[in-house]
Amino acid sequence: MRIVVTGMGVISSIGTSVEQFWHSAVNGKSGISKITCFDASGHRSQIAGEIADFDPKSFLSNKQIEQTDRFTQLALFAANEALNDCGDLGSYNAHRLAVCLGSGMGGFSTFESSASRKLQNKSVPPFTVPRTMANSAAAWIATQHALKGVNLTCSTACSSAANAIGMALDLMRTGKADAVVTGGVEACVLPLTISGFEALHALSTGFNDDPEHASRPFSTGRDGFVMGEGAGILVLENEEAAIKRGATIYAQLTGYGCTCDAAHIVAPDMDGQIAAMQAAINDANIAPNAVDYINAHATSTPLGDVVETNAIKQLFGDHAYKLAVSATKSMIGHTIGASAALGSIATIKALQTGTIHPTANLNEPDPECDLDYVPNKAQQRKIKTALCNAFGFGGNNATLVYTTP
Amino acid sequence: MNTENLEEKIIQFIASKVEDVDPATIDRSSTFETLGLDSMDRVQLLFDAEEIFDVTFDDDEAVKKFTCVGDIVDYISKTQSEEKPAEEE
Repeated sequence: MRIVVTGMGVISSIGTSVEQFWHSAVNGKSGISKITCFDASGHRSQIAGEIADFDPKSFLSNKQIEQTDRFTQLALFAANEALNDCGDLGSYNAHRLAVCLGSGMGGFSTFESSASRKLQNKSVPPFTVPRTMANSAAAWIATQHALKGVNLTCSTACSSAANAIGMALDLMRTGKADAVVTGGVEACVLPLTISGFEALHALSTGFNDDPEHASRPFSTGRDGFVMGEGAGILVLENEEAAIKRGATIYAQLTGYGCTCDAAHIVAPDMDGQIAAMQAAINDANIAPNAVDYINAHATSTPLGDVVETNAIKQLFGDHAYKLAVSATKSMIGHTIGASAALGSIATIKALQTGTIHPTANLNEPDPECDLDYVPNKAQQRKIKTALCNAFGFGGNNATLVYTTP
Repeated sequence: MNTENLEEKIIQFIASKVEDVDPATIDRSSTFETLGLDSMDRVQLLFDAEEIFDVTFDDDEAVKKFTCVGDIVDYISKTQSEEKPAEEE
């Protein structure tokens, strides 16, 4: 059974449509700037990849806005584009249309504001729980689009979207759905999350006056990740059924592998990453040297980028130096539970167009990072098979394999 | 605030909370049902009203019996008039 991608939707700091996102990504445009949604002047990290011009009023009623957290609103925006892009799914039974979404933090903005009220002995808004719950976004997508089948949410921190897309692939393969709306979303540019990641020394703090150069995977001088927000949505279908209804096929999703380090709650582990990539390659039934491109997890932390580089080198041997690797996060920062969804869309666009977006801010690579990271300038390369990596707190490692249709 | 002004303000507030209803048609007798407000919408409405009108809907028995706009107007007017003497002390 061949599972294909027939619809895509994006909202990110570098574009509020797939085309805009891809145009910016190919040109290495940065979406990182000073935080504007709250006063971050007292924080050590004062920058983020915020979606500055997002207006939920453009597509939601006042009542819907009142009942939804920003993460749900972003997911709905991207889902609207993806479901419009894939065309009419009316030929399917609504009970066979599934949603499988990833989010690391869910409605954390609502949690933070309601908790703050409670601590001041004020009453708590009635929609606190339905706005905060991690499955809120998936539920709203289903409700808005009458998707009455399986409805799942996967929360594995920074690998949430990769696991969600992998779970969606499993739903298709096991016959539990005829089409799945999948991907990931995150909206946690917030005082508490910024403080929390600061406390772990995970965020970049040295580029507050030069935000565009802060997210610099594989580069010397990188000092942590930059918080980002956004959503990426894919529509998966069986190839035969998609052709029958005249859908456009963007790529095949051919493999999924995931592992847990079972070692440390936040530190990356090379063996776990290798095992996830190997499992995905095995699942796709390809040889490692068939891989042309890796959309890396690459968050711009001093340790993480080296570990991922070493994992790629260990698994692919000499071929590691022949394939291209690039980091979407160099432009949008780390969108946590949305990152592999946005990375997947960048991967699919690369397969479709033969253009690999660059890793921005890579003038002087870290000597320990010596692969072809497509520095600063997009690369034209005919590619057939690509991986998208995502590694998350909890020791989760997930890899997806996409191929040309 | 006199009762008439208060009523007008509450109706304006409720009008901002409903969808697909002509605000000009809303008056004291408008029921939540005709305004398309389900039970959760009513809870949200009262939560927002607490902030705007500086009132607390803590009389659960009375709140449960609310069926129309006039019930909210009367509750808020009554609460505010009860509070007045205290303010003047």
